[in-house]
Parts: sequence; C-alpha cells; structure tokens
Amino acid sequence: MQRAVGSSGAGATALGLPAMLRCEGLRKRYGDRLAVDGVSFSISERECYGLLGPNGAGKTTTISMLCGLTVRDEGEITVDGFEGGTLEAKAAIGYVPQDLALYPDLSAVENLTFFGQLYGLTGKELQARIGETLELVGLADRGKDRIGTYSGGMKRRANMAAGLLHRPKLLVLDEPTVGVDPQSRNAILETVGQLGIAVLYTTHYMEEAAKLCDRIGIIDDGQLIAEGTADALISAHGGLDKVHLSCDGADLAELNAACRQLDNIHGVHEVDGHLELTTDHGPAVLPAVVAVAARIGVDLTGVEVRSPNLEDVFLSLTGKELRD
Amino acid sequence: MIRVIALNELKRRLRDRSVLIGCLAAPLLMAAVLGLSFAGSNSPVAVRVGVSGASTQLLAAAVQASQLPPGVTIVSMPSEHAVKTGVADGLLDSGVAVLPGQMHLSSLLIPIVDPGATHTPGYDVVTKGTSQLGHEYAESVAAGISSVLYAQRAAHGIPVDPATVTITTQSVGHGGKINLNFFAPNIAVVFLFIGSGLGMRSLLMERAAGTLSRITAAPLRPTQIVLGKLLAIFVTGLATVFVIWAVTTFAFGANWGDPLGVLLMCVGATVAMCGIGVFLTSLAKTEQQAFGITLLVGLFLALLGGNLLPSGSLPDVFQVLALGTPNGWALVGFGRLDQLREPASSVVGPFLVLVVIALVAGGLAMTRVRKMVEP
Repeated sequence: MQRAVGSSGAGATALGLPAMLRCEGLRKRYGDRLAVDGVSFSISERECYGLLGPNGAGKTTTISMLCGLTVRDEGEITVDGFEGGTLEAKAAIGYVPQDLALYPDLSAVENLTFFGQLYGLTGKELQARIGETLELVGLADRGKDRIGTYSGGMKRRANMAAGLLHRPKLLVLDEPTVGVDPQSRNAILETVGQLGIAVLYTTHYMEEAAKLCDRIGIIDDGQLIAEGTADALISAHGGLDKVHLSCDGADLAELNAACRQLDNIHGVHEVDGHLELTTDHGPAVLPAVVAVAARIGVDLTGVEVRSPNLEDVFLSLTGKELRD
Repeated sequence: MIRVIALNELKRRLRDRSVLIGCLAAPLLMAAVLGLSFAGSNSPVAVRVGVSGASTQLLAAAVQASQLPPGVTIVSMPSEHAVKTGVADGLLDSGVAVLPGQMHLSSLLIPIVDPGATHTPGYDVVTKGTSQLGHEYAESVAAGISSVLYAQRAAHGIPVDPATVTITTQSVGHGGKINLNFFAPNIAVVFLFIGSGLGMRSLLMERAAGTLSRITAAPLRPTQIVLGKLLAIFVTGLATVFVIWAVTTFAFGANWGDPLGVLLMCVGATVAMCGIGVFLTSLAKTEQQAFGITLLVGLFLALLGGNLLPSGSLPDVFQVLALGTPNGWALVGFGRLDQLREPASSVVGPFLVLVVIALVAGGLAMTRVRKMVEP
C-alpha cells in the first residue's frame, strides 16, 4: 500500500507559531521488529497534536523517545530548543503515562509534592501549584485522600495532575482516557482543551482526536502515514458521504435504477437489504432521493446520511479498522 | 534530589509499615529472643573446659591469649582428679590438668613446637573422645597457658615458679553474656543483608508499577535516582543495627565493646551489606527473582562468614574463605570489640575493608542498576 507521509514534516509548524517540539526521522528497533520507522512531525506552541493509531502502532515508543525514556536508534528531537533527552528538554515536558504512575499508599497531595520536588518546586510555590492543579483536574476536595481509595477516573485525573504540576511547555498524554468512565473522560478532555500549551495526545479513539486536536498524525506499523487537520484528512482520504435507504417490501431494483438517474450520485449498491448511495454531499441530495422514492411509490422507512470520519481515513490508508 | 528520592522511599515504607516491621519489630523481636536466650541465664553453654593447676591470673591470661570463640566456658577445677571426673561424668566437655612440678617452660612448649613429641608435657589434656570441639578448645587453652608463660619469661626474664600455681574453684568464664555479645552483632549483620537486598527491590517494584518511568522522565540524572534509593536503604539498615545494639545493651546487658568502634563497624557493615545487597538485586529482572537471589546468597554468606556457626569451629579453609565475605569482616570487627575488648582503633582495618567491599559491589551494582533507570 502506498504510504502518504505527513506533509508538514519536521520543519513545518502549524498555527504560525514557533515549534515546541520537532522530531525528524525517529527510528527505534526492538530486535527484528522496527517499532518506529522514520517518524517526523512538529508541534507548535499551544497546538494540540493527536497521534492516532491502533494498539502497537508505535505511539508509546515514539513518546518514550520524546520524553527521554527510550534511546532512539536514529533521528533528531528538539524540545523547546533543547536536544531531546537532556535535562532541559525533560524539564519542559509534562509526561502523563498510559498506566497510572502514582503511589497508591500516598495521598494526591503527597504524590504531587514528590513529583513537584523532582522538577525543582519547593515551599509555598509547590503548595500553591498543587492546589491549582488539583482544582484544574477537579480533585481539590480529595487531595488528602490516598490514591488507592480513588475511582479509576479519579486516578487518571490525578495522574494527569502530576504531569501538569510544573507547568510544562509540552504536555505528553499517552492514551489518558483508556478504561475511564464517560464523566472522567469528559473532565480529562475538558482539562486538556483549556490548557493552552503544546500537547501531544496519543489515542486510538478517533472521536477524541477529532474533537481535541488541531492536527492529527496517523501512525501505523511504526510509520506516520498521514498528517493534517481532521477535516483535511477526511477530505483527502475519507471518501464520500453515504446515504442508506431502508424500505419495507419495496422493489429495491426499481429504486436503485431511479437513484442512478439523479445528479451528484456516484454509486448505488444494495447492502444487506438496504440501498447505499455514494455522493459528495449527502444532505444536499436527500430531498431529491425522497422525491424520487415517492414518485415511484416506494415507502422509505429509514434514511441515514453518514459522512466519512477518521475511521474511514484509517481504513482507506491502511486497509484495516482502527480498532484492529 | 537524592534526598527527595530517599525521603519519598522512607515515607512510603513507613506508610506501608515495612520499615516498622523490618527496622523495629523484627530486630526488637530478635534482640529479645537473643537476650532472653543468653543474657543472665545459667543455661549450659556449648563447650565447658575444666582446668586445674593454674592460677586464676594465669588462666585468665591464657584464655585471652588462646582467643577462644564465644560459647566456650572455662571452669577452674580443684584438682586433676576433679577434671578427669568432670569429663568422665559429662559435666565438662574436656579439661586441662596442669601437672604440679611440671611447669617448666621447656616441657610446656613441647606440644606446640613438636606436636608429635613423646616427651612428657607439663599438663594433661583430658578428653572423652566424643567432643571434637572440647578437645580442640582444651588444646587451645593449654597452648594459651604455654604462650603466656613464654611471654612472661621473655618479657621480664623471670623464670616461672611452679610454686605460684595455686588451685582455686573460681570460675573465670564469661557466662551467658559472651554469647549475647557475639550473637547480637552477628544477627544484626544478617538483618542488614536481608534488609538491603529487599530494600533495593523497590526499584524493581517501581518499574513494574510505572512510577519509575515518571521519575526518569523528570530532569534527573540516573545516578541521583539510584543514590536516593541507596540512601534510604542505608538509613533503614543503620536503624536496624542501632535497634539491636540498643535493645541488647540496655535491656539485656550485652556489651558490644567500645561505642566508637561499634559505631564505626555499624556504618561499615551497613555500607558493605548495602553494596552487596544492591548488587545482587541488580542481577534480578523481577521482584521475585531479587527476593530469591537475596535469600539464597544471604544464607550462603551467613554460613560462610560465620554468622550461623562460629568460623573458629569450621575447617581452616572456611576460616580463610570467611574473610572473603563482608559479613565475615564485620564479625572480625565486632569480635575485636566485644570478645577481645580491643579499642575502636582496632576496627579501622575491618572498617576499611568493608568500605572497599561496598565501593566495589556498589560500583558494579551502579552500572547495572543505572540501566534500569537510563533510557
């Protein structure tokens, strides 16, 4: 399959702002397996960049290299102007790992105190930051409770608080909503949305990526295969709108033939007893479709217009489902 | 940052009570068991050697010269007959009967310079044939008497007068406390080793729990992370030894020797055992492996180093091998203080050896442990 490498590459920045993160040709091999293969992208200040891909695509390995947790085999990383992996680069990053990385026997305040101290925060400044951060993630009233007593969603929010405490310039979130209840998930997304800092957000939930991210990079088998805004990606790779028509006891063949005569209809197929029309813009053709059905005496029992999404983009680019 | 990591480690171990159990409860329990077992009790000791025909002063000097291991009690007997009867009846494990009128140095030295000689010695070593240790210790006492007499003569040019040898029934043994003095630091060293090995498992546990990745993502050098963990282990280890020292001393009357020397040995033993414990932990990939390796090697070192059996009671080769272990050197130092009553300066050598062991083992461990926290 043809790979469409991200158009922006490492040199481009979105939003017309300076780059907070630049990656160029990242490559990491584990034995015979190439986990990350030549990944390049950049993130501007205040830009939220989503790395979208299925499990095992190379998202976490990429993040590990960015955060200095894994040595890259090849490639260049620059964080806030500092070479990736240096203490200065690490200080600029707030890392929120996929798994809970807090001490369950300690309270949220005690956890944040420790992790804040690792970033050089002390005294009243540290206490103030802890209060602000717990407020931000909605845990101000539970700060003195042990992490072990928290619900799964609260743990995730506390996990994120530990990454935000030192006010990083780049927040790296590795699948922060996996296994989280809808309420906490919304709280996390809302928090990320209001940060106003550069964010690298990995997920395999396309809805999150589409909702949250200014730009999205699609990664599969260790390669960044496409990059851009959600709309641009969908427009380029998502295909056409689909209109599903359901009708009871009607002659689908007659309706099929009638729809083929309409303008802006590029294809008509029978699928599982339904009719599927392919068109540039579903809502625009809908009145004509309903009219032609009425004209030939077909009683429509269901009409559904489905626009392409990132799932379709991924399917189009890789030939497989995002959740495979 | 080292302090921050160490304090976090200690706080968490206090919170989950592992420090309280490892540094307070277990040492307290062990100290209590040791104290109740040995101190102030009249329980029979491992080996009793009866001696007749030597003055109390001569006997005391001979006991010191022979450097008997703990567990040996010397009983002054009124006569050669009493010695032989005591051994025959099982009240004594062995005996030495200094023969009246035979206290000439030439005859006393015969067994030492010429073990196979057929000359009549200045004393009889009485054994029952069933106690190898009793036999060896009786010979040591006899050799000690010979050494003291020889030293006195050489130093002062005064001939030893047989008439000065008097028979008394006063015991010159140390009673039960000599055992407590020996076993208390002995057990403390074992605790140190286990504690340090288990303490470093924390790094493996943090790796499994994911917190290590968050720590390593922070702007820290890998060395700071490892040293922070080591500092916490050192503090808890030292606390363990101090608890045993304090309890056996104040509650049960043990005497570990010169406090300055004991302090030096506590620090030396702690750093050495930390080094070895951390090195062993660094060989493991999982917490379970670390636990197994620590226990296995700990048991082996305890046996070889003389923590379980006094090295003096083992074959010569093992006594030499004991000096290849950190616990063996720790016991040498503690032994000089609590058994030989030597001053603090006498343990500078063992202390330095322990520090070297700590540096070597710790250095090796550091290179391995750093890989856990390095990208």
